[in-house]
Amino acid sequence: MNHPDELLYSKSHEWAKFLDDTTALIGLTDYAQDALGDLVFVNLPEVGDEVTAGEAFADVESVKAVSDVFSPVTGTVAEINEDLLDSPEMMNEDPYGAWLIKVENITDREELMDSGDYVNFYENQE
Amino acid sequence: MIERLSVYSTESQDPYRNLAIELGLTMAVEPGECILFLWQNRKTVVIGKNQNCWRECRVSELEAAGGHLARRLSGGGAVFHDLGNLNFTFCVREEDEDVPRQMEVILRAVRGLGIEAAMSGRNDLTAQGRKFSGNAFCRSGGRCCHHGTLLVDVDRREMERYLNVRAEKLRSNGVESVRSRTVNLKELCPGLTIPALKSALAEAFAQTYGLPAVELPDSRVDWSEVERWEAQFASWEWKYGRRIAFQNEIERRFPWGGISIGFNVEAGVIREARVYSDAMDESFPSELEKLLTGCRYDTGDIVSKLDGLSAEPGEIVRDIKEFILSAL
Repeated sequence: MNHPDELLYSKSHEWAKFLDDTTALIGLTDYAQDALGDLVFVNLPEVGDEVTAGEAFADVESVKAVSDVFSPVTGTVAEINEDLLDSPEMMNEDPYGAWLIKVENITDREELMDSGDYVNFYENQE
Repeated sequence: MIERLSVYSTESQDPYRNLAIELGLTMAVEPGECILFLWQNRKTVVIGKNQNCWRECRVSELEAAGGHLARRLSGGGAVFHDLGNLNFTFCVREEDEDVPRQMEVILRAVRGLGIEAAMSGRNDLTAQGRKFSGNAFCRSGGRCCHHGTLLVDVDRREMERYLNVRAEKLRSNGVESVRSRTVNLKELCPGLTIPALKSALAEAFAQTYGLPAVELPDSRVDWSEVERWEAQFASWEWKYGRRIAFQNEIERRFPWGGISIGFNVEAGVIREARVYSDAMDESFPSELEKLLTGCRYDTGDIVSKLDGLSAEPGEIVRDIKEFILSAL
């Protein structure tokens, strides 16, 4: 399993890549995509929607279930990754390339882990 | 760890009401508790959360026959319900979810009736290689809902009729259904009734967990929330208006000429219509395009719009109405 060093990770298995202090890309971790199984659909918010740290902002359907995706940050949706609407399998194939949303004007964030802490976290959880 | 079992049953046969009750129970479930909900819908096609209803179901035919289209919160494919089908739902907190054990309840009940039942893949239960139960799951806010159908004595001709869509030219995102060979449990256990299966399930529930199953009091559910959800499940926006964009194209020949109509649909509304025809009246394709644009992708809405069409002779309008009703 792959968890790049330059990203931050949440306990609910999302990653955040900060582009500057108040802008970040958000996606599902390799661990999450593996646990969810083959992804077949994603519901994304709209540009301009507000997201809140710790609250659901999207949901994904896999062959196993429909599950919520939680935002690690509070801010405004600046962009959504429209490619995922046509090709949700990208979240399985390239979880760190397949960002879900870009959030700007970030005012708050959850307690996020670096990759080492994240691996410890989910290994202890299992 | 499950320490308490509750059973809830409803007399309601309204699909929107029942989906709302199911959500009410999912919100009511406490840590350490597993709720088993048993329910039935009158004639309904239930589609998965992320499906295109027009690709999965003959919506207008179903509705003309007094049936309902419902969209559930869980994923997966389209299923047909009538009073020969019994639905079950397990509601638990996320930390208490144990899908194999929940499946074991159903298998135990069915095997107790003398039917050799098995799991097939993650979502189906089969007997003699044919499916009698489809299961789906959703997880939200730390709560899990696992539900499924049980075909006891379903009208399989109707099931075929409403789920068999001929829309070769419909292109859509969204989750596609997987066709399965089905079997009614009554064929394998003659004389089986819904009440008998319900008691078998309640008994198997208690046996599987080794705990008594107690009836859940109505007071545990927030009924004002249930009312609100029921209205949402029944709303046009939830059933048809979800953001699953698609295109469809239909064509037919008539004595007065041929016609082809292309639809570009977003959130259930026709954003663009392209009409081609070699009929005499040259103005009517563009007139029809204008009428269709902005109209809901709903045969009733479209047909009433067509009253504004001035094509001559009058049979053209009549033919197009019939064409829309039969082709969409």
